[in-house]
Amino acid sequence: MEFSIRVATLEDCRDMARMIAELAEYEKVPDQVKITQRDLEQDGFSKNPFFQAIIAEVPEQHRSKEGHCKVGYALYFFAYSSWKGRSVYMEDLYVMSEYRGKGIGKALMSKIAQLGLAAGCKQLNFAVPNWNKPSVDFSLRQGCWNVTSDLGYHCMRCEGPALESLARGEAKH
Amino acid sequence: MEFRVRAATREDCRDISRMIRELAVYEKMPDGMKISHEELERDGFSQNPFFHCLVAEVPPQHRTKEGYTLVGYALYFYTYSTWEGRSLYMEDFYVMPEFRGKGIGKALISNVARIGKEHQCVRLNFSVLSWNTPAINFYLNKGAQDLTTSDGWHCFRFDREALDKLAEEAVKQ
Repeated sequence: MEFSIRVATLEDCRDMARMIAELAEYEKVPDQVKITQRDLEQDGFSKNPFFQAIIAEVPEQHRSKEGHCKVGYALYFFAYSSWKGRSVYMEDLYVMSEYRGKGIGKALMSKIAQLGLAAGCKQLNFAVPNWNKPSVDFSLRQGCWNVTSDLGYHCMRCEGPALESLARGEAKH
Repeated sequence: MEFRVRAATREDCRDISRMIRELAVYEKMPDGMKISHEELERDGFSQNPFFHCLVAEVPPQHRTKEGYTLVGYALYFYTYSTWEGRSLYMEDFYVMPEFRGKGIGKALISNVARIGKEHQCVRLNFSVLSWNTPAINFYLNKGAQDLTTSDGWHCFRFDREALDKLAEEAVKQ
């Protein structure tokens, strides 16, 4: 199936918001999305964007039954490894279910790799829940390795009241 | 013990580089660090920095036997969650062993959280080695969650060679 990959624009935020909701549904947590189309517009397309995104698009004749031509996306940002230097972190990678198995996911990931290398990055990192076997297998097939299994790194998070408390807790000195 | 936490400057990169190496030794990967302090200067102190850094400094009377007054650091950068929005990732967090237990670590991490809050960040993410019990306890005591244990999140990585190979696919596309 013919498709193209391109850098996202402000006008793509509506479709990105739609697909973010679809991905949350797939990850079994549909109520967790608090980000709106407007947030994406402000956070991704202003002077100091918090993220970058690429879109996978199919021609009109392959549009979905709801009429969508934007059928996949990847959202990423630049990060840093204190050991290896510049890196890129892929936050989301999603292809609508009826468009899977056609090389679109791989093409999105490859594009991020290409953009990352062009920016001087030496690593591409991302996270996958280990129960998501199709994604784990897909990832390993592309040549990456599991940092959590191999080295024992655990992903930790502080948010909500714990983060507030932490922010208030700076020692006076 | 008197100390202060402040934003790092370009001139601090030699000390930051030294402490990154010390942390790598602590993490049992002494050869892990491959970048130079010049790379840190370029990537952290130019117009579009890849990271930000806070350092903990003691007055000259408390300097180490080698003469160091920079005794801790926290290296972080801005990230994005498509569910919750603006976030922070704390890549490194370290206090030299002889300066632990004096509130320096707490002051560093609290300042990272405070800065995040000023930028409307709703999450602070980081990772920790599964065997690093003192660190895990420190974080859990501050209300952090271990997403690997609770939700099965695993970190995956493409290193340079695999990244090059992946990027080649994009060119062919």
